[in-house]
Amino acid sequence: MTVYESDLPGVGKKHEIELDGDERIVVVTHNTGKREVYRRADADADAEKLFELSDELARTVGTVLEGAYFQPVATDTIETMLGGDALIEWYDVPAGSELAGETIEEADVRQRTGASIIAVQHGADVVPNPDPGAGVHGGDTVVVMGSREEVERFHDTFIAGVGDDAADDTEDAADPN
Amino acid sequence: MAAGAPVAGDLNGLLALGAVVAVAAAVAALGRRVGIPTVPLYVLGGVVAGPSVAGAIGLPTVEPAELTTLAEVGVVLLLFFLGLEFSIDRLIAARRRLSGAAAVDLLVNFPVGVALGFLFGLGPLGAFLVGGIVYISSSAVITKSLVDLGWIADPEAEPVLGVLVAEDLVVAVYLALAGALVAGGSPVDALPRIAVALGFLGAVALAAQLLAPRLTPYLGTSDEDLVVRTLAVALVVAGLALSVGASEAVAGFFVGVGVGATPLHDRVADRIAPLRDAFAVVFFAWVGLNTDVVAVAAVAVPVLVAALVSGPTKVFSGAVGGRLYGLSPRRSLRTGLALVPRGEFSLIIAALATSSPDPLVSSVVPAFAVGYVLVLSFAGTVAMSEARRIERLVGLSPD
Repeated sequence: MTVYESDLPGVGKKHEIELDGDERIVVVTHNTGKREVYRRADADADAEKLFELSDELARTVGTVLEGAYFQPVATDTIETMLGGDALIEWYDVPAGSELAGETIEEADVRQRTGASIIAVQHGADVVPNPDPGAGVHGGDTVVVMGSREEVERFHDTFIAGVGDDAADDTEDAADPN
Repeated sequence: MAAGAPVAGDLNGLLALGAVVAVAAAVAALGRRVGIPTVPLYVLGGVVAGPSVAGAIGLPTVEPAELTTLAEVGVVLLLFFLGLEFSIDRLIAARRRLSGAAAVDLLVNFPVGVALGFLFGLGPLGAFLVGGIVYISSSAVITKSLVDLGWIADPEAEPVLGVLVAEDLVVAVYLALAGALVAGGSPVDALPRIAVALGFLGAVALAAQLLAPRLTPYLGTSDEDLVVRTLAVALVVAGLALSVGASEAVAGFFVGVGVGATPLHDRVADRIAPLRDAFAVVFFAWVGLNTDVVAVAAVAVPVLVAALVSGPTKVFSGAVGGRLYGLSPRRSLRTGLALVPRGEFSLIIAALATSSPDPLVSSVVPAFAVGYVLVLSFAGTVAMSEARRIERLVGLSPD
Protein backbone atom coordinates (compact mmCIF):
# COMPACT_ATOMS: atom_id res chain seq x y z
CA MET A 1 0.00 0.00 0.00
CA THR A 2 1.39 3.35 -1.01
CA VAL A 3 0.20 6.80 -0.01
CA TYR A 4 0.99 9.64 -2.42
CA GLU A 5 1.01 13.19 -1.16
CA SER A 6 0.95 16.32 -3.27
CA ASP A 7 0.51 20.05 -2.74
CA LEU A 8 -2.45 21.91 -4.18
CA PRO A 9 -1.33 25.55 -3.97
CA GLY A 10 -4.20 27.79 -2.91
CA VAL A 11 -6.37 24.80 -2.05
CA GLY A 12 -4.53 22.51 0.35
CA LYS A 13 -3.09 19.03 0.12
CA LYS A 14 -4.00 15.82 -1.62
CA HIS A 15 -3.35 12.28 -0.43
CA GLU A 16 -3.96 9.28 -2.64
CA ILE A 17 -4.14 5.87 -1.03
CA GLU A 18 -3.67 2.84 -3.22
CA LEU A 19 -6.28 0.14 -2.75
CA ASP A 20 -6.46 -3.17 -4.61
CA GLY A 21 -5.27 -2.89 -8.17
CA ASP A 22 -5.52 0.59 -9.63
CA GLU A 23 -8.29 1.79 -7.39
CA ARG A 24 -7.45 4.72 -5.17
CA ILE A 25 -9.00 6.71 -2.38
CA VAL A 26 -8.23 10.41 -2.82
CA VAL A 27 -8.44 12.72 0.17
CA VAL A 28 -8.32 16.47 -0.51
CA THR A 29 -7.61 18.46 2.64
CA HIS A 30 -8.57 22.09 2.11
CA ASN A 31 -6.70 24.90 3.84
CA THR A 32 -9.99 25.62 5.60
CA GLY A 33 -9.82 22.17 7.20
CA LYS A 34 -12.58 20.69 5.08
CA ARG A 35 -11.85 17.15 3.80
CA GLU A 36 -13.23 15.82 0.56
CA VAL A 37 -13.00 12.10 -0.02
CA TYR A 38 -13.03 10.74 -3.57
CA ARG A 39 -12.72 7.30 -5.08
CA ARG A 40 -10.98 6.65 -8.37
CA ALA A 41 -11.79 3.29 -9.92
CA ASP A 42 -8.67 3.09 -12.10
CA ALA A 43 -5.79 5.22 -13.28
CA ASP A 44 -7.68 6.92 -16.09
CA ALA A 45 -11.09 7.21 -14.45
CA ASP A 46 -12.40 10.50 -13.11
CA ALA A 47 -12.53 10.70 -9.36
CA GLU A 48 -16.02 10.37 -7.91
CA LYS A 49 -16.71 12.33 -4.79
CA LEU A 50 -17.90 10.15 -1.93
CA PHE A 51 -18.43 12.66 0.88
CA GLU A 52 -16.99 15.66 2.64
CA LEU A 53 -16.32 16.29 6.31
CA SER A 54 -15.55 19.27 8.51
CA ASP A 55 -12.16 19.28 10.21
CA GLU A 56 -13.56 18.12 13.53
CA LEU A 57 -15.73 15.39 12.02
CA ALA A 58 -12.85 14.18 9.88
CA ARG A 59 -10.66 13.71 12.95
CA THR A 60 -13.35 11.77 14.80
CA VAL A 61 -14.14 9.57 11.81
CA GLY A 62 -10.42 9.06 11.24
CA THR A 63 -9.91 7.89 14.80
CA VAL A 64 -12.81 5.50 14.55
CA LEU A 65 -11.41 4.07 11.32
CA GLU A 66 -8.04 3.73 12.97
CA GLY A 67 -9.65 1.50 15.58
CA ALA A 68 -8.16 3.50 18.40
CA TYR A 69 -11.31 5.21 19.42
CA PHE A 70 -13.89 3.49 21.52
CA GLN A 71 -15.83 5.45 24.04
CA PRO A 72 -18.68 3.65 25.77
CA VAL A 73 -21.29 6.02 27.07
CA ALA A 74 -20.96 4.51 30.54
CA THR A 75 -17.35 5.55 31.13
CA ASP A 76 -15.45 8.72 30.59
CA THR A 77 -12.20 7.00 29.75
CA ILE A 78 -10.79 6.25 26.37
CA GLU A 79 -9.83 2.69 25.69
CA THR A 80 -8.79 0.69 22.75
CA MET A 81 -10.68 -2.54 22.37
CA LEU A 82 -8.81 -5.42 20.88
CA GLY A 83 -11.82 -7.66 20.38
CA GLY A 84 -13.11 -10.18 22.83
CA ASP A 85 -12.66 -8.80 26.31
CA ALA A 86 -9.13 -7.49 25.87
CA LEU A 87 -8.40 -3.81 25.97
CA ILE A 88 -5.55 -1.36 26.19
CA GLU A 89 -5.61 1.55 28.60
CA TRP A 90 -3.31 4.49 29.26
CA TYR A 91 -2.64 5.72 32.78
CA ASP A 92 -0.53 8.50 34.28
CA VAL A 93 1.19 7.07 37.34
CA PRO A 94 0.53 9.32 40.36
CA ALA A 95 3.53 10.18 42.54
CA GLY A 96 2.01 8.33 45.49
CA SER A 97 1.34 5.12 43.59
CA GLU A 98 2.84 1.87 44.82
CA LEU A 99 4.24 1.58 41.33
CA ALA A 100 6.16 4.86 41.46
CA GLY A 101 9.86 4.33 42.05
CA GLU A 102 9.54 0.54 41.72
CA THR A 103 10.35 -1.82 38.93
CA ILE A 104 7.53 -3.74 37.33
CA GLU A 105 8.85 -6.88 38.99
CA GLU A 106 9.01 -5.29 42.45
CA ALA A 107 5.47 -4.01 42.18
CA ASP A 108 4.40 -7.50 41.17
CA VAL A 109 1.99 -6.08 38.62
CA ARG A 110 1.24 -9.30 36.80
CA GLN A 111 0.62 -11.39 39.91
CA ARG A 112 -1.50 -8.81 41.71
CA THR A 113 -3.69 -7.63 38.85
CA GLY A 114 -3.29 -9.99 35.90
CA ALA A 115 -2.69 -7.03 33.60
CA SER A 116 0.56 -6.43 31.73
CA ILE A 117 2.43 -3.19 31.25
CA ILE A 118 3.20 -3.11 27.53
CA ALA A 119 4.89 0.30 27.39
CA VAL A 120 6.22 2.96 29.70
CA GLN A 121 6.54 6.58 28.67
CA HIS A 122 8.99 8.62 30.71
CA GLY A 123 9.07 12.20 29.49
CA ALA A 124 9.83 11.98 25.80
CA ASP A 125 11.23 8.45 26.04
CA VAL A 126 8.99 5.51 25.34
CA VAL A 127 10.05 2.01 26.39
CA PRO A 128 7.99 -0.53 24.48
CA ASN A 129 7.84 -4.08 25.88
CA PRO A 130 9.61 -3.13 29.12
CA ASP A 131 11.37 -6.01 30.84
CA PRO A 132 10.37 -6.82 34.42
CA GLY A 133 13.37 -4.93 35.76
CA ALA A 134 12.26 -1.65 34.12
CA GLY A 135 11.56 1.15 36.56
CA VAL A 136 8.41 3.26 36.64
CA HIS A 137 8.37 6.76 38.10
CA GLY A 138 5.65 9.09 39.27
CA GLY A 139 4.39 11.10 36.31
CA ASP A 140 5.21 8.37 33.78
CA THR A 141 2.51 7.11 31.49
CA VAL A 142 2.01 3.36 31.42
CA VAL A 143 0.13 1.47 28.75
CA VAL A 144 -1.64 -1.52 30.22
CA MET A 145 -3.19 -4.48 28.47
CA GLY A 146 -5.48 -7.12 29.86
CA SER A 147 -9.08 -8.15 30.23
CA ARG A 148 -11.45 -5.45 31.36
CA GLU A 149 -11.43 -6.95 34.86
CA GLU A 150 -7.63 -7.07 35.00
CA VAL A 151 -7.24 -3.52 33.76
CA GLU A 152 -9.79 -2.32 36.31
CA ARG A 153 -7.88 -4.15 39.02
CA PHE A 154 -4.68 -2.45 37.87
CA HIS A 155 -6.44 0.89 38.06
CA ASP A 156 -7.76 0.21 41.56
CA THR A 157 -4.40 -1.03 42.83
CA PHE A 158 -1.94 1.44 41.40
CA ILE A 159 -3.80 4.46 40.13
CA ALA A 160 -7.02 5.26 41.94
CA GLY A 161 -7.02 7.26 45.14
CA VAL A 162 -3.30 7.40 45.70
CA GLY A 163 -1.87 10.58 44.25
CA ASP A 164 -2.87 14.11 45.10
CA ASP A 165 -3.66 14.97 41.52
CA ALA A 166 -5.09 11.49 40.91
CA ALA A 167 -4.61 11.84 37.21
CA ASP A 168 -6.07 8.48 36.41
CA ASP A 169 -6.49 8.93 32.72
CA THR A 170 -4.30 10.48 30.18
CA GLU A 171 -5.74 13.26 28.21
CA ASP A 172 -2.76 13.51 25.99
CA ALA A 173 -1.93 9.98 25.04
CA ALA A 174 -5.20 8.75 23.67
CA ASP A 175 -7.38 11.79 23.25
CA PRO A 176 -8.67 11.82 19.69
CA ASN A 177 -8.28 15.57 19.45
CA MET B 1 -13.50 54.21 -19.67
CA ALA B 2 -14.89 57.72 -19.45
CA ALA B 3 -16.07 57.88 -15.89
CA GLY B 4 -18.18 60.96 -16.54
CA ALA B 5 -18.24 64.03 -14.37
CA PRO B 6 -20.06 63.72 -11.06
CA VAL B 7 -23.69 64.64 -11.54
CA ALA B 8 -26.44 65.48 -9.10
CA GLY B 9 -27.69 61.91 -9.20
CA ASP B 10 -24.51 60.42 -7.75
CA LEU B 11 -24.82 58.33 -4.62
CA ASN B 12 -22.80 59.25 -1.57
CA GLY B 13 -19.80 57.08 -0.73
CA LEU B 14 -21.60 54.84 1.70
CA LEU B 15 -24.54 54.25 -0.60
CA ALA B 16 -22.16 53.70 -3.50
CA LEU B 17 -20.38 50.95 -1.60
CA GLY B 18 -23.69 49.54 -0.43
CA ALA B 19 -25.05 49.48 -3.98
CA VAL B 20 -21.94 47.73 -5.24
CA VAL B 21 -22.02 45.10 -2.50
CA ALA B 22 -25.76 44.58 -2.99
CA VAL B 23 -25.32 44.10 -6.72
CA ALA B 24 -22.43 41.73 -6.02
CA ALA B 25 -24.56 39.66 -3.64
CA ALA B 26 -27.38 39.51 -6.17
CA VAL B 27 -25.21 38.48 -9.11
CA ALA B 28 -23.36 35.92 -7.02
CA ALA B 29 -26.68 34.30 -6.12
CA LEU B 30 -27.70 34.37 -9.76
CA GLY B 31 -24.35 33.07 -10.97
CA ARG B 32 -24.32 30.16 -8.56
CA ARG B 33 -27.66 29.03 -9.93
CA VAL B 34 -26.50 28.93 -13.54
CA GLY B 35 -22.85 28.05 -12.96
CA ILE B 36 -21.30 31.28 -14.25
CA PRO B 37 -18.11 32.26 -12.39
CA THR B 38 -18.66 35.23 -10.11
CA VAL B 39 -15.65 37.35 -11.16
CA PRO B 40 -17.13 38.49 -14.51
CA LEU B 41 -20.55 38.84 -12.89
CA TYR B 42 -19.17 41.31 -10.34
CA VAL B 43 -17.73 43.29 -13.23
CA LEU B 44 -21.11 43.22 -14.99
CA GLY B 45 -22.75 44.32 -11.76
CA GLY B 46 -20.42 47.31 -11.71
CA VAL B 47 -21.27 48.11 -15.32
CA VAL B 48 -24.99 48.05 -14.50
CA ALA B 49 -24.60 50.25 -11.41
CA GLY B 50 -22.28 52.66 -13.20
CA PRO B 51 -22.65 55.72 -15.38
CA SER B 52 -22.96 53.86 -18.65
CA VAL B 53 -26.12 51.90 -17.77
CA ALA B 54 -27.80 53.23 -14.62
CA GLY B 55 -26.60 56.73 -15.51
CA ALA B 56 -27.82 56.45 -19.08
CA ILE B 57 -31.39 55.73 -17.99
CA GLY B 58 -31.40 58.52 -15.44
CA LEU B 59 -30.92 56.47 -12.26
CA PRO B 60 -28.54 57.64 -9.56
CA THR B 61 -25.14 56.12 -10.26
CA VAL B 62 -22.10 55.10 -8.33
CA GLU B 63 -19.23 57.46 -8.95
CA PRO B 64 -16.16 55.21 -9.45
CA ALA B 65 -13.82 57.69 -7.78
CA GLU B 66 -15.66 57.13 -4.49
CA LEU B 67 -14.47 53.54 -4.52
CA THR B 68 -11.00 53.86 -6.02
CA THR B 69 -9.09 53.45 -2.75
CA LEU B 70 -11.22 50.49 -1.68
CA ALA B 71 -10.67 48.90 -5.08
CA GLU B 72 -6.92 49.37 -4.69
CA VAL B 73 -7.13 47.61 -1.33
CA GLY B 74 -8.79 44.75 -3.21
CA VAL B 75 -5.89 44.55 -5.68
CA VAL B 76 -3.30 44.66 -2.88
CA LEU B 77 -5.09 41.90 -0.95
CA LEU B 78 -5.53 39.71 -4.05
CA LEU B 79 -1.80 39.87 -4.70
CA PHE B 80 -0.98 39.63 -0.99
CA PHE B 81 -2.78 36.30 -0.98
CA LEU B 82 -0.93 35.07 -4.04
CA GLY B 83 2.26 35.91 -2.19
CA LEU B 84 1.03 34.15 0.91
CA GLU B 85 0.45 30.93 -1.00
CA PHE B 86 3.60 31.34 -3.02
CA SER B 87 6.49 29.22 -1.89
CA ILE B 88 9.76 29.52 -3.71
CA ASP B 89 10.90 26.23 -2.16
CA ARG B 90 7.84 24.45 -3.45
CA LEU B 91 8.34 25.91 -6.91
CA ILE B 92 11.97 24.83 -6.93
CA ALA B 93 11.00 21.35 -5.72
CA ALA B 94 8.50 21.00 -8.56
CA ARG B 95 10.59 22.72 -11.22
CA ARG B 96 11.70 19.60 -13.03
CA ARG B 97 8.13 18.48 -13.71
CA LEU B 98 6.65 21.95 -14.00
CA SER B 99 9.19 24.06 -15.82
CA GLY B 100 8.24 22.59 -19.19
CA ALA B 101 4.54 23.26 -18.71
CA ALA B 102 5.17 26.76 -17.35
CA ALA B 103 7.59 27.63 -20.14
CA VAL B 104 5.24 26.47 -22.90
CA ASP B 105 2.43 28.44 -21.26
CA LEU B 106 4.47 31.65 -21.29
CA LEU B 107 6.17 31.16 -24.65
CA VAL B 108 2.92 30.41 -26.49
CA ASN B 109 0.39 32.74 -24.91
CA PHE B 110 2.35 35.90 -24.20
CA PRO B 111 3.63 36.25 -27.80
CA VAL B 112 0.14 35.46 -29.12
CA GLY B 113 -1.22 38.29 -26.97
CA VAL B 114 1.47 40.70 -28.08
CA ALA B 115 0.79 39.82 -31.73
CA LEU B 116 -2.94 40.40 -31.20
CA GLY B 117 -2.16 43.78 -29.61
CA PHE B 118 -0.15 44.83 -32.67
CA LEU B 119 -2.83 43.45 -34.97
CA PHE B 120 -5.40 45.70 -33.25
CA GLY B 121 -3.09 48.67 -33.75
CA LEU B 122 -2.46 49.36 -30.06
CA GLY B 123 1.25 50.16 -30.39
CA PRO B 124 4.14 48.61 -28.48
CA LEU B 125 2.87 49.45 -24.97
CA GLY B 126 -0.69 48.37 -25.80
CA ALA B 127 0.64 45.14 -27.28
CA PHE B 128 2.76 44.50 -24.20
CA LEU B 129 -0.34 44.95 -22.00
CA VAL B 130 -2.55 42.75 -24.21
CA GLY B 131 0.23 40.14 -24.01
CA GLY B 132 -0.16 40.07 -20.25
CA ILE B 133 -3.96 40.10 -20.38
CA VAL B 134 -3.95 37.13 -22.75
CA TYR B 135 -1.18 35.23 -20.95
CA ILE B 136 -2.41 35.22 -17.39
CA SER B 137 -5.10 32.71 -16.41
CA SER B 138 -7.47 33.30 -13.53
CA SER B 139 -6.43 31.57 -10.30
CA ALA B 140 -9.76 32.49 -8.67
CA VAL B 141 -12.05 31.16 -11.41
CA ILE B 142 -9.96 28.09 -12.18
CA THR B 143 -9.38 26.99 -8.58
CA LYS B 144 -13.09 27.29 -7.86
CA SER B 145 -14.02 25.28 -10.96
CA LEU B 146 -11.48 22.58 -10.11
CA VAL B 147 -13.06 22.17 -6.68
CA ASP B 148 -16.66 22.43 -7.91
CA LEU B 149 -16.18 19.87 -10.68
CA GLY B 150 -14.11 17.49 -8.56
CA TRP B 151 -11.09 17.77 -10.87
CA ILE B 152 -9.12 18.72 -7.79
CA ALA B 153 -8.87 15.00 -6.98
CA ASP B 154 -7.69 14.11 -10.49
CA PRO B 155 -4.09 14.12 -11.76
CA GLU B 156 -4.57 17.30 -13.84
CA ALA B 157 -4.97 19.37 -10.65
CA GLU B 158 -1.22 19.40 -10.00
CA PRO B 159 -0.04 20.76 -13.36
CA VAL B 160 -2.96 23.23 -13.52
CA LEU B 161 -2.29 24.69 -10.07
CA GLY B 162 1.45 24.47 -10.67
CA VAL B 163 1.20 26.50 -13.88
CA LEU B 164 -0.95 29.06 -12.05
CA VAL B 165 1.74 29.45 -9.37
CA ALA B 166 4.42 29.87 -12.04
CA GLU B 167 2.21 32.49 -13.73
CA ASP B 168 1.96 34.32 -10.39
CA LEU B 169 5.71 34.71 -10.29
CA VAL B 170 5.83 35.88 -13.90
CA VAL B 171 3.00 38.33 -13.31
CA ALA B 172 4.79 39.84 -10.30
CA VAL B 173 7.76 40.65 -12.53
CA TYR B 174 5.47 41.65 -15.39
CA LEU B 175 3.37 44.05 -13.29
CA ALA B 176 6.50 45.65 -11.90
CA LEU B 177 7.65 46.36 -15.46
CA ALA B 178 4.23 47.27 -16.82
CA GLY B 179 3.58 49.64 -13.92
CA ALA B 180 6.77 51.52 -14.69
CA LEU B 181 6.22 51.54 -18.47
CA VAL B 182 2.59 52.66 -18.36
CA ALA B 183 3.48 55.89 -16.56
CA GLY B 184 4.72 56.88 -19.99
CA GLY B 185 7.22 59.31 -21.36
CA SER B 186 9.99 58.35 -23.70
CA PRO B 187 11.92 55.27 -22.58
CA VAL B 188 14.97 57.40 -21.82
CA ASP B 189 13.01 59.83 -19.61
CA ALA B 190 11.28 56.92 -17.96
CA LEU B 191 14.50 55.12 -17.17
CA PRO B 192 15.28 56.73 -13.78
CA ARG B 193 11.67 56.28 -12.71
CA ILE B 194 11.68 52.65 -13.79
CA ALA B 195 14.92 52.15 -11.88
CA VAL B 196 13.41 53.69 -8.72
CA ALA B 197 10.24 51.60 -9.03
CA LEU B 198 12.09 48.33 -9.60
CA GLY B 199 14.60 49.24 -6.88
CA PHE B 200 11.78 49.80 -4.41
CA LEU B 201 10.14 46.47 -5.26
CA GLY B 202 13.49 44.73 -5.05
CA ALA B 203 14.02 46.22 -1.59
CA VAL B 204 10.56 45.02 -0.51
CA ALA B 205 11.29 41.53 -1.83
CA LEU B 206 14.63 41.46 -0.04
CA ALA B 207 13.08 42.75 3.19
CA ALA B 208 10.39 40.09 2.95
CA GLN B 209 13.06 37.44 2.63
CA LEU B 210 15.33 38.72 5.40
CA LEU B 211 13.11 40.43 7.93
CA ALA B 212 9.88 38.47 7.83
CA PRO B 213 10.90 35.59 10.10
CA ARG B 214 12.08 38.08 12.70
CA LEU B 215 8.91 40.15 12.48
CA THR B 216 6.70 37.22 13.45
CA PRO B 217 6.54 38.08 17.17
CA TYR B 218 5.44 41.64 16.37
CA LEU B 219 2.48 40.65 14.22
CA GLY B 220 0.53 39.85 17.29
CA THR B 221 -0.81 37.22 19.55
CA SER B 222 -4.53 37.86 19.25
CA ASP B 223 -6.36 37.43 15.98
CA GLU B 224 -7.43 41.04 16.09
CA ASP B 225 -3.84 42.28 16.36
CA LEU B 226 -2.83 39.94 13.59
CA VAL B 227 -5.42 41.28 11.15
CA VAL B 228 -4.85 44.93 11.97
CA ARG B 229 -1.06 44.75 11.88
CA THR B 230 -0.85 42.60 8.75
CA LEU B 231 -3.20 44.98 6.99
CA ALA B 232 -1.16 47.94 8.21
CA VAL B 233 2.08 46.50 6.82
CA ALA B 234 0.51 45.51 3.50
CA LEU B 235 -1.21 48.86 2.94
CA VAL B 236 1.74 51.03 4.03
CA VAL B 237 4.18 49.15 1.81
CA ALA B 238 1.74 49.14 -1.13
CA GLY B 239 0.99 52.82 -0.62
CA LEU B 240 4.70 53.69 -0.54
CA ALA B 241 5.11 51.70 -3.74
CA LEU B 242 2.40 53.78 -5.40
CA SER B 243 3.99 56.99 -4.27
CA VAL B 244 7.35 56.11 -5.87
CA GLY B 245 5.60 54.98 -9.05
CA ALA B 246 5.96 51.25 -8.42
CA SER B 247 3.20 48.67 -8.66
CA GLU B 248 1.21 48.52 -5.41
CA ALA B 249 0.03 45.06 -6.42
CA VAL B 250 3.56 43.67 -6.62
CA ALA B 251 4.45 45.30 -3.30
CA GLY B 252 1.44 43.53 -1.80
CA PHE B 253 2.64 40.28 -3.37
CA PHE B 254 6.05 40.51 -1.70
CA VAL B 255 4.55 41.40 1.68
CA GLY B 256 2.45 38.25 1.27
CA VAL B 257 5.55 36.20 0.43
CA GLY B 258 7.19 37.52 3.60
CA VAL B 259 4.24 36.73 5.85
CA GLY B 260 3.78 33.38 4.11
CA ALA B 261 7.28 32.35 5.16
CA THR B 262 6.44 32.80 8.85
CA PRO B 263 4.63 30.28 11.04
CA LEU B 264 1.69 32.71 11.06
CA HIS B 265 0.87 31.73 7.48
CA ASP B 266 -2.24 29.65 8.21
CA ARG B 267 -3.75 32.06 10.72
CA VAL B 268 -3.20 35.06 8.48
CA ALA B 269 -4.74 33.20 5.53
CA ASP B 270 -7.73 32.30 7.68
CA ARG B 271 -8.32 35.80 9.01
CA ILE B 272 -7.54 37.88 5.93
CA ALA B 273 -9.43 35.72 3.40
CA PRO B 274 -12.84 37.27 4.16
CA LEU B 275 -11.32 40.76 3.85
CA ARG B 276 -9.78 39.86 0.52
CA ASP B 277 -13.09 38.48 -0.74
CA ALA B 278 -14.93 41.65 0.26
CA PHE B 279 -12.41 44.08 -1.22
CA ALA B 280 -11.89 41.98 -4.33
CA VAL B 281 -15.62 42.31 -5.03
CA VAL B 282 -15.26 46.09 -4.75
CA PHE B 283 -12.32 45.96 -7.18
CA PHE B 284 -14.19 43.88 -9.78
CA ALA B 285 -17.27 46.09 -9.53
CA TRP B 286 -15.05 49.18 -9.72
CA VAL B 287 -13.62 47.88 -13.00
CA GLY B 288 -17.21 47.57 -14.19
CA LEU B 289 -18.08 51.08 -13.01
CA ASN B 290 -15.18 52.43 -15.06
CA THR B 291 -16.25 50.49 -18.11
CA ASP B 292 -18.01 52.30 -20.88
CA VAL B 293 -20.34 49.84 -22.63
CA VAL B 294 -20.03 51.79 -25.86
CA ALA B 295 -16.24 51.38 -25.71
CA VAL B 296 -16.59 47.63 -25.08
CA ALA B 297 -19.06 47.31 -27.94
CA ALA B 298 -16.58 49.15 -30.15
CA VAL B 299 -13.91 46.51 -29.48
CA ALA B 300 -16.31 43.57 -29.83
CA VAL B 301 -14.56 42.29 -32.96
CA PRO B 302 -11.03 42.39 -31.48
CA VAL B 303 -12.38 40.72 -28.31
CA LEU B 304 -13.95 37.88 -30.29
CA VAL B 305 -10.89 37.46 -32.49
CA ALA B 306 -8.66 37.38 -29.42
CA ALA B 307 -10.95 34.88 -27.66
CA LEU B 308 -11.10 32.62 -30.72
CA VAL B 309 -7.31 32.64 -31.03
CA SER B 310 -6.13 32.66 -27.43
CA GLY B 311 -8.75 30.32 -26.00
CA PRO B 312 -7.45 27.50 -28.20
CA THR B 313 -3.79 28.49 -27.70
CA LYS B 314 -4.28 28.06 -23.95
CA VAL B 315 -5.83 24.65 -24.52
CA PHE B 316 -2.87 23.79 -26.72
CA SER B 317 -0.17 25.08 -24.36
CA GLY B 318 -1.91 23.51 -21.38
CA ALA B 319 -2.25 20.17 -23.15
CA VAL B 320 1.41 20.20 -24.16
CA GLY B 321 2.21 21.09 -20.54
CA GLY B 322 0.11 18.18 -19.34
CA ARG B 323 2.00 15.80 -21.64
CA LEU B 324 5.33 17.20 -20.41
CA TYR B 325 4.05 16.63 -16.87
CA GLY B 326 3.49 12.99 -17.79
CA LEU B 327 -0.30 12.88 -18.07
CA SER B 328 -2.34 10.85 -20.52
CA PRO B 329 -3.72 12.63 -23.62
CA ARG B 330 -7.20 12.93 -22.08
CA ARG B 331 -5.84 14.37 -18.81
CA SER B 332 -3.60 16.71 -20.79
CA LEU B 333 -6.58 18.02 -22.73
CA ARG B 334 -8.29 18.72 -19.41
CA THR B 335 -5.21 20.57 -18.19
CA GLY B 336 -5.53 22.78 -21.26
CA LEU B 337 -9.27 23.34 -20.87
CA ALA B 338 -8.86 24.22 -17.20
CA LEU B 339 -6.33 26.97 -17.96
CA VAL B 340 -8.60 28.85 -20.41
CA PRO B 341 -10.46 31.17 -17.99
CA ARG B 342 -8.88 34.62 -17.63
CA GLY B 343 -9.96 36.86 -14.82
CA GLU B 344 -8.66 38.96 -11.98
CA PHE B 345 -5.08 39.49 -13.21
CA SER B 346 -6.17 40.53 -16.68
CA LEU B 347 -8.42 43.06 -14.95
CA ILE B 348 -5.56 44.30 -12.77
CA ILE B 349 -3.56 44.89 -15.95
CA ALA B 350 -6.58 46.70 -17.38
CA ALA B 351 -6.80 48.93 -14.31
CA LEU B 352 -3.11 49.68 -14.73
CA ALA B 353 -3.68 50.66 -18.36
CA THR B 354 -6.22 53.35 -17.39
CA SER B 355 -3.40 55.43 -15.90
CA SER B 356 -1.51 55.60 -19.19
CA PRO B 357 -1.23 59.08 -20.73
CA ASP B 358 -1.65 57.51 -24.17
CA PRO B 359 -5.41 57.78 -24.83
CA LEU B 360 -5.39 54.73 -27.08
CA VAL B 361 -3.95 52.59 -24.29
CA SER B 362 -5.97 54.12 -21.47
CA SER B 363 -9.33 53.70 -23.20
CA VAL B 364 -9.09 50.78 -25.61
CA VAL B 365 -7.00 48.33 -23.57
CA PRO B 366 -9.28 48.36 -20.48
CA ALA B 367 -12.43 48.02 -22.59
CA PHE B 368 -10.80 45.16 -24.47
CA ALA B 369 -9.74 43.47 -21.22
CA VAL B 370 -13.22 43.66 -19.72
CA GLY B 371 -14.84 42.18 -22.81
CA TYR B 372 -12.12 39.55 -23.12
CA VAL B 373 -12.42 38.47 -19.48
CA LEU B 374 -16.22 38.28 -19.73
CA VAL B 375 -16.01 36.04 -22.78
CA LEU B 376 -13.15 33.77 -21.72
CA SER B 377 -14.00 33.33 -18.05
CA PHE B 378 -17.41 32.19 -19.15
CA ALA B 379 -16.28 30.13 -22.16
CA GLY B 380 -13.48 28.53 -20.15
CA THR B 381 -15.80 27.53 -17.34
CA VAL B 382 -18.31 26.08 -19.80
CA ALA B 383 -15.50 24.19 -21.56
CA MET B 384 -14.52 22.63 -18.24
CA SER B 385 -18.03 21.52 -17.35
CA GLU B 386 -18.52 20.17 -20.91
CA ALA B 387 -15.15 18.40 -20.89
CA ARG B 388 -16.68 14.96 -21.43
CA ARG B 389 -18.41 16.10 -24.60
CA ILE B 390 -15.23 17.78 -25.84
CA GLU B 391 -13.23 14.63 -25.15
CA ARG B 392 -15.72 12.58 -27.15
CA LEU B 393 -15.54 15.15 -29.94
CA VAL B 394 -11.77 14.78 -30.28
CA GLY B 395 -11.84 11.03 -29.75
CA LEU B 396 -10.32 10.93 -26.28
CA SER B 397 -13.35 9.60 -24.48
CA PRO B 398 -12.62 7.06 -21.73
CA ASP B 399 -15.58 4.82 -22.65
